[in-house]
Amino acid sequence: MHKGYATIIVLTALAAATIVICTGFGPAGVPFFGMSGNDTTSLILFDIRLPRVIAAMLVGAGLAAAGVVMQGLFRNSMADPYLLGTSSGGALGASLAIVLLGGAFRSILAFAGCLAASFIVYGIAQKGGRVKVEQLLLTGIAVSMFFSAILSALMYSAGQNLHQILFWLMGGFWNISWDDVKLGIIILPASLALLLFSRELNIFSMGEDDAIHLGVNVERLKIFLLAASSLITGLAVAIAGCIGFVGLITPHIMRFVVGPDHRVLIPASMLAGGILLALSDTVARTVGNEVPVGVITAFLGAPFFIWLLKRRFST
Amino acid sequence: MIELSGVDVHYGARKVLDAISFDAKKGVFVGIIGPNGSGKTTLLKAISRVITPTGGIIQLDGQPLSALSSRELAQSVAVVPQETGPGFDFTVSDAVMMGRYPHMSRFSKERGEDYAICRKSMALTGITHLSDRSIHAISGGELQRVIIARALAQQPRHLLLDEATSHLDISHQVDILATIKKLSEEIAVIGVFHDLNLASYFCDEIIVIKDGKIAAAGTPVEVITPAMLRSIFDLDAAVSIHPVTGKPLVVPLPRSPPAPGGSYRVHVICGGGTGSDLLRALHRAGCQVSAGILSMNDSDYETAGALGIFCITEPPFCPITDPAREALLKQIAAADTVVMTAIPVGEGNLDNLRVLTQCGEKPVLFLSENGRVTIPDYTGGKATAIISQLAADHRLAVLPWDQLIDRCKSKGEKEP
Repeated sequence: MHKGYATIIVLTALAAATIVICTGFGPAGVPFFGMSGNDTTSLILFDIRLPRVIAAMLVGAGLAAAGVVMQGLFRNSMADPYLLGTSSGGALGASLAIVLLGGAFRSILAFAGCLAASFIVYGIAQKGGRVKVEQLLLTGIAVSMFFSAILSALMYSAGQNLHQILFWLMGGFWNISWDDVKLGIIILPASLALLLFSRELNIFSMGEDDAIHLGVNVERLKIFLLAASSLITGLAVAIAGCIGFVGLITPHIMRFVVGPDHRVLIPASMLAGGILLALSDTVARTVGNEVPVGVITAFLGAPFFIWLLKRRFST
Repeated sequence: MIELSGVDVHYGARKVLDAISFDAKKGVFVGIIGPNGSGKTTLLKAISRVITPTGGIIQLDGQPLSALSSRELAQSVAVVPQETGPGFDFTVSDAVMMGRYPHMSRFSKERGEDYAICRKSMALTGITHLSDRSIHAISGGELQRVIIARALAQQPRHLLLDEATSHLDISHQVDILATIKKLSEEIAVIGVFHDLNLASYFCDEIIVIKDGKIAAAGTPVEVITPAMLRSIFDLDAAVSIHPVTGKPLVVPLPRSPPAPGGSYRVHVICGGGTGSDLLRALHRAGCQVSAGILSMNDSDYETAGALGIFCITEPPFCPITDPAREALLKQIAAADTVVMTAIPVGEGNLDNLRVLTQCGEKPVLFLSENGRVTIPDYTGGKATAIISQLAADHRLAVLPWDQLIDRCKSKGEKEP
């Protein structure tokens, strides 16, 4: 337990350092220290880089928190924030905005698409107010496929807009403003609300019947956790598109470091996810020549995940 | 106290529990037995509100189950399920601490009292030495003890066990059930058992369930009988009251072979335990076996009884009477072969041999490994004289075990 809190303190310090360092790096060559104080450099630093770094932090933290919750709820290490069809729902919403509305209301429609997908999946999977997680998992896959089919058709007929849709699908932080950060701030209270249910999540991971025997109101828990993590994922997708692997990988790394107790795992994963995504985005906009950050996270995340799987099979 | 009245449970259209009514009071260990698929686990799931009955009422300490919050229910009822998914790799002490959840509020931390209760639960289940190990790194039996400790940490007023000790080795099974038995003085315990002897030994009351209905209920002595085992479990078993425990002891018997096709009839004269193996072997070989005359405190008589072998008997320590003698004569006349063991003969059972001299030319097979015909004779030579006479009349064939069994078996098979 002490080890867990120590890790959180270290990660908090690292997160602060990441904000400073990442804001200092960029193609314009404006150093954080020794800045000249003129308007252009302060604009670059405080209105372009800083909101972008903070937004990446918030989105990374939110995806990691939602990933932890999904893996705990589904007792499945392959679960990620997009499990309930949120990514395909969000992608469909954003693509509709791009194709039909010329890009207007893109974030709002993406957010709406995420939440709609979650509600549809839950609505189909539940029966008399009760829902089995296996049922949710399979329904999520089916609904995702359905949305993906519509999305493919949309992309096929998108013409010039195809490029924009593809960019959005890979995810990134190109045009981040302080408005996006204000939106992203909602991720924090929502994630902290997840933290309140971490003891229940610990128990739930032992099995649903066990959770009932130990006094957890499992149906209420499922609805709350699914709603909160859908909200978080929806916000993340609205800000930065569908960024993969952060929500899948971060919980695994942190479970190795701090153990499975969600009271520590959730804050630790949020910090680590934020750091990971902010660093990836910095790599993307400096070394990567503004390649979508989803490319960087997947490029680094996939090999790591393979290593993780090999390690698990060998023990 | 747990009270069920008229509880029905349906899975879809299938009725799994049908009008179940009983109650379990504090201080009573209730055992539930029944064949696979009879509804035992479903019953526990209904009491722990994992499933909702489609009819009837379940009450806990006078309150309907549905009136309790999830937390109140877990403060009152703890469950040890058959199987538990190991989940993430929590330590054993973390897993046991989960049992304190219903007693903690959302914002409170574990207090000293909670730790003390967990330590005690782990000590009672013998897992203190595992407390820092991951629940992924312990055996199935150890995990089961962790789950039992977690249930004890709930400090429940009612404890439900679903084959809670099935993964444990025999000594831990007995230790843990003894612990629970001790606890049952203070709380109500309902346990599903597959091991009938454990149920018989530990439970105060036994409820037998078959096809979702209560088929029998009562004390172990009242309920665990060969007739119940045959009708409910389709099991041939010998049930005796164990001299040490005073509880019914069930010994499953091999299924009786189909009625011997040749109806080869063998009558065995034995006693004092000399014939038990022989009775079993002949029975298994498909012969239609009878035995006697046996005293009712003879161990051969118990064997015969357990195998369902017809037996001519006399009460213990009584001389052989005329009706028994006549019955023996009739039985020997009807038999194809008479087999005799090296039975100890005294005045009380000498008539067994006397009858042999009165039944014409019927040959007698004498079981002896060394080819000699000697019997423990407590009659001052009368018994030995009869045997010698039979030998002189060439009516006595001395055979070792293998040949004797083979002979009876082959005859039994030959005759249609």
